[in-house]
Amino acid sequence: MKTIDDFVLLIQHEIGLPVTAEHIGEGLDSVPGWDSLHLLTLLTALERETGRSVSMPDVLEATTLRDIYDLVAVTET
Amino acid sequence: MCPTNGTTSTEPASVEAQDVFELYRRGRVAAEYPRLRRLLAGLGDDELRRAGQLLSRVDPDEVLRTHPETSVVSVTVTGHSTVSGLVAPLTAELARHGLLLRPRVGDFDSYVFDLSDLGSELYASGSDLVVCLLDADVVFDEVPVPWEPADVERVLADKLRLLAGIATTFTSAGKGTLVLNTLPLPRERAAELTGHRSRARLGAIWREANARLLRLVEDHPSVVVLDLEPLVGDGDGVPLRDARLAAYTKTRFSPGLTARYAREVAHLARGLSGRSKKCLVLDLDETVWGGILGDDGIDGIEVAGSYRGEAFGAFQRTARQLASQGVVLAAVSKNDIEPVLQVLREHPDMTLREDDFVRVIANWAPKHENLRALAEDLNLGIDSFVFADDSPYECGLVRHELPEVTVLHLDGDPALHAGRLLADGWFDVLDITADDRLRPGRYRDELVRKDFLDSFTSLDDYLRELDVRVELAPAAPGDLGRVSQITLRTNQFNLTTERLQQSEVERLADSAEAEVLTIRSSDRFGEHGIVGVVFVRGEGQVWHIDNFLLSCRVFSRGIEQACLSAVLEHAREQGAREVLGRYRPSPKNGKVKDFYPRNGFTAHTPDSADSAGTLAFRHDLADIAGPPAHLRLTGAIGVFGPLGTVTTEGNRQ
Repeated sequence: MKTIDDFVLLIQHEIGLPVTAEHIGEGLDSVPGWDSLHLLTLLTALERETGRSVSMPDVLEATTLRDIYDLVAVTET
Repeated sequence: MCPTNGTTSTEPASVEAQDVFELYRRGRVAAEYPRLRRLLAGLGDDELRRAGQLLSRVDPDEVLRTHPETSVVSVTVTGHSTVSGLVAPLTAELARHGLLLRPRVGDFDSYVFDLSDLGSELYASGSDLVVCLLDADVVFDEVPVPWEPADVERVLADKLRLLAGIATTFTSAGKGTLVLNTLPLPRERAAELTGHRSRARLGAIWREANARLLRLVEDHPSVVVLDLEPLVGDGDGVPLRDARLAAYTKTRFSPGLTARYAREVAHLARGLSGRSKKCLVLDLDETVWGGILGDDGIDGIEVAGSYRGEAFGAFQRTARQLASQGVVLAAVSKNDIEPVLQVLREHPDMTLREDDFVRVIANWAPKHENLRALAEDLNLGIDSFVFADDSPYECGLVRHELPEVTVLHLDGDPALHAGRLLADGWFDVLDITADDRLRPGRYRDELVRKDFLDSFTSLDDYLRELDVRVELAPAAPGDLGRVSQITLRTNQFNLTTERLQQSEVERLADSAEAEVLTIRSSDRFGEHGIVGVVFVRGEGQVWHIDNFLLSCRVFSRGIEQACLSAVLEHAREQGAREVLGRYRPSPKNGKVKDFYPRNGFTAHTPDSADSAGTLAFRHDLADIAGPPAHLRLTGAIGVFGPLGTVTTEGNRQ
């Protein structure tokens, strides 16, 4: 997973949410169909994709999808 | 970059997984719901998990708008911790069986309140299944720190009392099935005790409590307790917990265990709605024994005495064990019949013998044709078949030609065969009755009967020679389990397809207004036991036949006409003015659509509106056709009187 587009696709495939790049910076509350349980699904998928562990407390405290992407992107650099 | 087909970079997605994702992406899941069953059958565990995430986002009502015939299972999920994670996998597991989940998730840790109060929303919802997830923290949340085994023992005793009370309350509500589970003991809890002796004591206390939990089912017919211990850490290595999920989200079961749990619940739902598989069809070469009989000869095949031979022997024992509980076993093999029969009769090391199979088919015809003919001969729906074969070609062909058949591809290593066969509870039912154990023998007799039939020029001659005897009588207490089972398993000759759990049958049998009549039959080849049920209800001078069911083993012998005639005669004798019956269409019961009109009933418009498609019929009792001449009707139908005034002078034969 290298780009924000990969990240968007991952969300589409794993959670089935119709998110687009535009939703990335919005608050999670305004992402269509978002539910806090999706964070966990996403976290598991991100760990599988990147082969690294991602801090669950940090993911749980994220307020936008961009926050989560940044957590992973930082881990990857 | 992820490809756009639903896969991830770590594993290639199957064609089926890509199709599921495409359906979802194009918003076509509801419109093409019937296709899902076949697609999901081809998915691996991870793919199924992902599919569940997608499918759980589809509104069940949208599916029903396009496919109103879809069978819905309503499930309330409740429990001690965060339980909503069960919804997605349960959606996928039920869709795998062609069932549609209507989920309802209870509030966090609300199970005690919801289940103890008959006025709660949980009871008002009338769910088919209430799944109450229990985990070790039910106990440890109330154990002080520091703690000793005695603290655990005390809390467990409280919880057992609470759960027994819940089971009683739920049973008294008389609707649906409550699913509880044993509490697996997390290793970390045992490890918090450093003394081996106190650790052993904890283990003993814990397992005694789980045993008591499991025993709740003995007194509570509406309760099922799933034993999670065999699911945790078995050959597939499903972990009990995910420490982070537990700590941060209060989800106490790992995603892997949640998926296994969902699978168990889906098979339970399948069994409760009468969709358990009934027939296991095995290939022979490289499935039941090692080697190719045609090449290696009877002395060359492997069933014992070698590494592979022992593994095939173990698989045979598994198949035999299933057959002993009513699974109808058949063999379909590309072989000549003579050497196959020789192996089954004479090979010294075989576990499975000719008598274990209701039919052994060895020929060179395509297997799907053999399966279709077998289903017809046994009068079983092809969708009640499980077919196991080592050949990917044969598996693919059967999957393609007969998508309703569950196909198990057994791969090259026979040590894995039994695990593959048992990975899913295809044959799970709520309870095994004595009748189940006799079923394979009955089907075998039935095939002999068919051969007997072929020797007659007319059906009438055959029926006269068959010497059919029928007994119609009120159900005795010992019959009620079997009666419930008939309502659950019978799909074809089932006028209304109303499924009744045993507790519901008991209530009817005890009712003053209703009577549950069992139909027993026998003929020159032997006893069939209870083969059908008539549910009758009196309402003043109007009698209702609420349902009429007959096992597919005994269709077309006049048994149904004889019993209907007896019920009508009896109603007239007891002063009834008319008898009303209903036919409610299902995907499987089309053959009895005309049952009432063919037997003297006329179409009737009921006072109260019934569900869509239901046909109502009325018999004015003026002219009642007698029972067919070729059979003898005996029994004690006269024991129940009008308007529910049951008399007791009946003499059961």
